[in-house]
Amino acid sequence: MCASIRPSGAFRPQDRSGRTRRWVILALPLLILAWRAPAAASATPAGTLIIGVHVSLAPNWFDPAETLGIITPYMVLYALHDAMIKPMPAGNLTPGLAETWSVSADGRTFDFVLRKGTKFHNGEPVTAEDVKFSFDRYHGAGHTLMKERVASVDIPAPGTIRFHLTEPWPDFLTYYSNATGAGWIVPKRYVETVGEENFKKAPIGAGSYKFVSFTPGVELVVEAFDGFWRKQPAVKRIVFKVIPDEATRLVALKRGEIDIAYSIRGELANEVQNSPGLTLKPTVGSAPYWVYFPDQWDPKSPWHDKRVRLAVKYALDYDAINQALTLGFSHITGSVMPENFDFYKPVPKPVHDKQKARALLAEAGYPEGFDAGFYTCDAAYANLGEAVINSLGEVGIRAKLRPLERVAFFKGYSQKKYKDLIQGASGAFGNVATRMESFVVAGGTYAYGSHKEIDALFPLQAREMDIGKRTELLHRMQDILDREAMYVSVWQLAFISAVGPRVGESGIGLIKGFVYAAPYEDLTLKGG
Amino acid sequence: MKQYIVKRAGYSLLSLLLLSLTIFLFIRLTGDPTALLTEPGASNADIAAIQHKFGLDRPIWVQYGLFMFNLVRGDLGDSFYYQTPVLELYQARLPNSLLLGVVAMAFSLVLGIPTGILAAIRVGRFWDSAGKLFALLGLSLPSFLVGLLLILFFSVYLQWLPSSGSGTFWHLLMPAFALGWYFAAAHMRLTRSSMLEVLGSEYVKLARLKGLPEAIVIGKHAFKNALIPVLTLAGINLIQMINVAIVVETVFAWPGIGRLLYEGVTFRDFPVVQGVVLLGGTMIVVVNLLIDIIYAMVDPRIRMEQ
Repeated sequence: MCASIRPSGAFRPQDRSGRTRRWVILALPLLILAWRAPAAASATPAGTLIIGVHVSLAPNWFDPAETLGIITPYMVLYALHDAMIKPMPAGNLTPGLAETWSVSADGRTFDFVLRKGTKFHNGEPVTAEDVKFSFDRYHGAGHTLMKERVASVDIPAPGTIRFHLTEPWPDFLTYYSNATGAGWIVPKRYVETVGEENFKKAPIGAGSYKFVSFTPGVELVVEAFDGFWRKQPAVKRIVFKVIPDEATRLVALKRGEIDIAYSIRGELANEVQNSPGLTLKPTVGSAPYWVYFPDQWDPKSPWHDKRVRLAVKYALDYDAINQALTLGFSHITGSVMPENFDFYKPVPKPVHDKQKARALLAEAGYPEGFDAGFYTCDAAYANLGEAVINSLGEVGIRAKLRPLERVAFFKGYSQKKYKDLIQGASGAFGNVATRMESFVVAGGTYAYGSHKEIDALFPLQAREMDIGKRTELLHRMQDILDREAMYVSVWQLAFISAVGPRVGESGIGLIKGFVYAAPYEDLTLKGG
Repeated sequence: MKQYIVKRAGYSLLSLLLLSLTIFLFIRLTGDPTALLTEPGASNADIAAIQHKFGLDRPIWVQYGLFMFNLVRGDLGDSFYYQTPVLELYQARLPNSLLLGVVAMAFSLVLGIPTGILAAIRVGRFWDSAGKLFALLGLSLPSFLVGLLLILFFSVYLQWLPSSGSGTFWHLLMPAFALGWYFAAAHMRLTRSSMLEVLGSEYVKLARLKGLPEAIVIGKHAFKNALIPVLTLAGINLIQMINVAIVVETVFAWPGIGRLLYEGVTFRDFPVVQGVVLLGGTMIVVVNLLIDIIYAMVDPRIRMEQ
């Protein structure tokens, strides 16, 4: 799931005098984009759009309270529910059910003002009680952190919700908006009436589409909600049809049985390119992959020498790997931070230069290369590991692939058990700061060592409530990370889907970092 | 007889107990399900929370004990992925699998038995060779390949049949053929060998000596007796078709039990895999037990040998 805070000045701290003056968020450009008279300019929804989904849909995806730390459930959440703030085409922190928000000067209190006129599919208005109820009942991914950092939630006035934090937390909005499902709102009265289990069987939300039917393992059907505040959806019905086999999904798309097919890879994606009327829709999610040098802090290790690490950077044949494994659709960013994360700073794109790699190795005292030991990776991405090892072998860095089952791999990674080389990746939610905290800064879950300058800057940014200053600090940290070649980024992985000829706007790629079709109210059929 | 039934029932229970232990342990060798419920690099707290929620943080013998305790009460647990009782999921998929299994079985019998008879009565000649080739292809062509070839031909080129899904008679044709194809070959082989055995028996020779027409000899005297092992096998095969048509149901997006098992394995959904395997195993064990009892009732030598 795409995630992060928007450094747009969308919220500002209360001034230090302690007066009640609040810097109300005037996310005016976003609001202008978002606020439209409901349905005024739109025609009546018409037609049915069928999406061929690669995984089975699970009923717990219908309930934001159970949001897992994976992107897939958001495929459904975007249809059925709405959030206070959520990633949208306009940005990661686009106002949703919350029209504005503000933060106190000490960074401990966040106030949200609810948008007027919003309602659930059953016609009941969205109230502050619903917002508090949704937060309180949340028990999905990241809830421990949220509950630790949020002391209490109260309703100072109708339509206003106040979050009291235990300490200043600049990333609160990131977590509340999309790194967790805590900010997605469900109707309190309905949930209490029907009970938790029945809610999943007949969910009611405030999203642009309302639940019609769900057949486990077969399909989910949703229908346009004419009371959605943002805009009237153009497509009357959307059917999420489960087709687990990739080849069958493509055939169904070719035959017009479905309009969008998720996850079409390799040769099948080539087939799409050669099929008239079909369009490939690659999108890049929030998961960069990298090579990490856990021994770089050991003076006896070859990896201690920055030139050796840089040799790896020049050795990788990025474009060939990308072309071979993802048809060239993954992004070669050179960074281990996702490019859609807030506070991201682009770094120069890495260049494949074997001569330079060999020269750097020779300079470092390894003219004939060296045995690099194990290259440990998640077995699911061993193909990427093989390609990287081949590139390294061409400049004399000889490594042996050691693929491990994912949980075992990340467990060993976090317990600092590996040596030599690690192929890491992260699709975890957050922003550059949260990613730094886990992978770069001293004490980070996956940090085998750290850099003094980065360690010194990290607490400064964590306390900094001024977005501009915080951005500057995080950019400096990314510069150091790149300069010191602590990591070598391989790519930011692409997810490839295909779209049929009936579709006008597929929605795929509209929200940066989100790989599925959304927002659903923006989807159109041709001639519709 | 009573002692025989008790003994066989005891063996059946023991088989199921061993099956439960085997599947419980083997599915856990596939890895940790939390890997598939979190993004790579998820926080340890989130992983620990999921493990706790599913009871995976408990010692394995405690997990097994709880599993068996709930099993005895008829509770197969809740799916990790669907968060729904496994029994509910199974019951929802069972009608689809029954439909597919019965149609595929009908197809396999209609194709397998006549070709088997033809091969037996024309042994060593063209129809026998053709039957052997059919059996070879049926048993060696993987069902995913048969499925994809069917889709390619009937959906892509001819545009006659829907490529996947369920709901109409037309949706049923290709998966039933792909599933029944393998079993048709198996039934053909058994019919052929069974017919050959029966055709060489004394009573068939006597029937021929009596001057009965060949059609009566084949149809009335030989076929009826040769059919018994074929039908026994068909009964067991039907249970397999219902429970483990994994590849066919996945290729054709057919919402049956096989696909539920596939999803269970894919998502390391331990309760689903355990539940589906155990229910399928129970069906096979019960059918075997019934067959044993019927055999023993029909043939006293069997129970005496025991």
